Amino acid sequence: MVDRLLPLIVVVPLLGAAVLVGAGRRMPRLAAETVACACAAASAALACAALAGPATAVSWVGDWRPRDGVSVGIVLVGDRLGLGLAALASVLIVAVLTYSWRYFEEPPRGHAGAFPALVLLFQAGMCGFALTGDLFDAFVFFELMGVVGYALTGYHVEEARPVQGALAFGFVNSLGGYATLMGIALLYARTGELGMAQIGRRLDAAPGHDALVAAAFVLVVTGLLVKAAAVPFHFWLPDAHAVAPTPVCLVLSGVMVETGVYGVARVHATVFGGPGGIPADGTRRVLVVLGVVSALTGAVMCWQQRHIKRLLAFSTVGHTGLFLVGVGLLTPEGLSGTCLYVLGHAGAKAALFACTGILLARLGSVDERELHGRGRDIRGIGLLFALGGLALAGLPPFGTGLGKAVVEEQAAWLPALFGLVSALTGGAALRVAARVFLGAGERGHDERETAGGGEKEPETAGGEEEPETVGGEGEPETAGGEEEPETAGGEEEPETGHRIRLPPPPMVSVAVALLAGALAVGTVPALAEATAAASFAFLDHAGYAAAVLDGRATGGQPGHGGEWWTWSGAVLGLLSAALAVVLAAAAVVGLVPSRGWSAPLRRLHSGHIGDYVAWTMAGIGLLSLLTLW
Amino acid sequence: MTRRARLWVLTAGLLGTAALFAAACLRMPPFGGTWHPYGDRAVQAALLQRTANTVSSVNFDQRAFDTLGEESILFAAVLGTVVLLRRTSGERRVTPQPASVPPAVRRYAIAVLPLALLIGLYVVAHGQLSPGGGFQGGVVVATALHLLYVGVDYRALERVRPVGLYELADGVGEGAYVVLGAAGLLAGSAYLANILPLGTFNTLSSGGTVPLLNAAVGMEVASAVVVLLARFLAQALEIVDEKEEGRERGERRKRE
Repeated sequence: MVDRLLPLIVVVPLLGAAVLVGAGRRMPRLAAETVACACAAASAALACAALAGPATAVSWVGDWRPRDGVSVGIVLVGDRLGLGLAALASVLIVAVLTYSWRYFEEPPRGHAGAFPALVLLFQAGMCGFALTGDLFDAFVFFELMGVVGYALTGYHVEEARPVQGALAFGFVNSLGGYATLMGIALLYARTGELGMAQIGRRLDAAPGHDALVAAAFVLVVTGLLVKAAAVPFHFWLPDAHAVAPTPVCLVLSGVMVETGVYGVARVHATVFGGPGGIPADGTRRVLVVLGVVSALTGAVMCWQQRHIKRLLAFSTVGHTGLFLVGVGLLTPEGLSGTCLYVLGHAGAKAALFACTGILLARLGSVDERELHGRGRDIRGIGLLFALGGLALAGLPPFGTGLGKAVVEEQAAWLPALFGLVSALTGGAALRVAARVFLGAGERGHDERETAGGGEKEPETAGGEEEPETVGGEGEPETAGGEEEPETAGGEEEPETGHRIRLPPPPMVSVAVALLAGALAVGTVPALAEATAAASFAFLDHAGYAAAVLDGRATGGQPGHGGEWWTWSGAVLGLLSAALAVVLAAAAVVGLVPSRGWSAPLRRLHSGHIGDYVAWTMAGIGLLSLLTLW
Repeated sequence: MTRRARLWVLTAGLLGTAALFAAACLRMPPFGGTWHPYGDRAVQAALLQRTANTVSSVNFDQRAFDTLGEESILFAAVLGTVVLLRRTSGERRVTPQPASVPPAVRRYAIAVLPLALLIGLYVVAHGQLSPGGGFQGGVVVATALHLLYVGVDYRALERVRPVGLYELADGVGEGAYVVLGAAGLLAGSAYLANILPLGTFNTLSSGGTVPLLNAAVGMEVASAVVVLLARFLAQALEIVDEKEEGRERGERRKRE
């Protein structure tokens, strides 16, 4: 029964969006938001119910079941990880809708349902992508996610920077989408199939890898890595996340970016994981190299931001890099650790964004320096923010800490990388908490002073662009402009329409619930056990095809006790959290220079969409080299 | 980056991608072969479903879930455009002035409008039989309505185009596809299963749910395109930026 109901997880939000658009003009805001919440919650409940089911749910849409292992239809596969991702996305969507309950200023007349409808479509896109077992269908839902993402990012059209951020997001993601489509076409030309399991089987029937398979791998993975914001495909992310409405950031950072990592893992496991695919060494090299570079870039850039949303966005780049490394190890333990890490990170990062939204609504700014000490009277929010920072840093018993510990056990060099990235990103968040909510340290230079002062590499709004590219070449440059030489965040408008006096209960309760979720991931042993079994099944290339095409049910393999806290893992987590606290304290008293020592890296984040496109193309070349080595 | 650096990075990337793609294309199956595993199966399935247009059978029956996704992409894109092109706080609505249209253009538009409308509806209705279907037909229908703008003027278009009604139809079209899919579940089969009687091959009443899904998509696409163009037209003709307007007025006064 669960099998047949699987498509409903995707289509219930679609129906909700249709109702909201159809009745939008006549629907009062309260009704629109209630409908949206009900649909999102129904879909989340369905996903959770399916997760509680015994085995992998396989649903052939239109009842086009395979005969002798071949079919013309599309299959949805509800294995543990896919369903888990759909459930995570749906739960976060419910959190977003609750958070934005009365959060936004009064919507324009006749458009009460537009924002919740877009959010529901976003949910449908993510759930469809997570559940589909068909490569082309995955591309369709990937595009749905993208289209909604661009619109939501540019929601505040009155200002220039959201439009620039949405454009960068749109350009780079569309380019990635084209690459993926070309890769799918190559696979179709070779195998005559579009289903992941079917393509995998056909490739395995003629083992021995060649240029076509390698090219298909590179192209398909490119689009997914763009979504996952891996260096050098990551440039759109900070520009988009810094300007998107805060509730949207919860989903973008919490789960959409991770969807890209999931896509890479899924495509590897089902299509390219067999003897006819890409040798494991090649895949591992691609993912680990890109992951390490992304993790370091994200962490370093994160440390240097003072625009809080941009800071959190770069920390997402860093953590996604870690996820890529974890998945790239291609071991069940690495994968299951990454899953726990993703779950914990979603809670922590979304909670941090939720707190930032409260700051913006109350104080009208997201600039760390401008807000110095102004959060003293909402210390409760400060406590939540600091806890979120500690969770990012991997403090036990948060889920992030558990995931980090499980992955770190896989290789001797991993603790150094994971510790450094966790400490830098967590430390940056703690630094913000100390400055804003405690008023610690110097107030910092005045904004204008910084602007005019000895800064060799002025950052600008919507990206950090080099001044000489602005006027000198006659190219219309990005939004913002030179009068704001740094992405400060002081110019952000409160999204509530007016400044609020007390943090509204829905916003605070969402932040608390998200942090509690991050804590639960690291404290409920059953979850870790289930994840370990699910990861083992996920990487079973032949088992997946058998379950999908031959209807041979693969249940949870017995005898895979989940990874759980070890002493060394807990100590490493405590160490990275301590390092984060030390870094934050040192930065507050001015011992650690937060800027100036990585100007070249910052200069690359120019805000120029042409640059981003060039890097994306270069990234495809880099991927080919790493794959073919 | 400087322009030169950007070009170098881009060139290197393009060359790498081109080399990869060229190498892949050399390993493709030869052109004009007889091995078409999916095509053979799809045609066979289309005949079994008594759908003369195999492409429609693939789009609205065999892979109908993809089409739901594609319809939703259009739906989302239009909704996103509506949101992004909304009248913001700094903007004001003005009444567009009537414009004169050359008589020849007017005669042509008036003559072609009903024809185009009919062709659009025909293309939607015959999706299961001949090339076309909801997507193509829907665009033709929407285009036909806009001949009124070309041939008469904006106010005439506005009279046949109550945007609220088209937004309703947009939602109904999207919702109808979802609900038609759920009918398969209610009938005890799978989601989006073709549960209706298949009818007589190569007649209007064939293909089971294919014509209905085509109609839903046709309705959604036609209204979505109308809403989309309405937003762009409003942005171009009706909405003015108060700041720019003030500046223009100031300049005019200065000149005078």
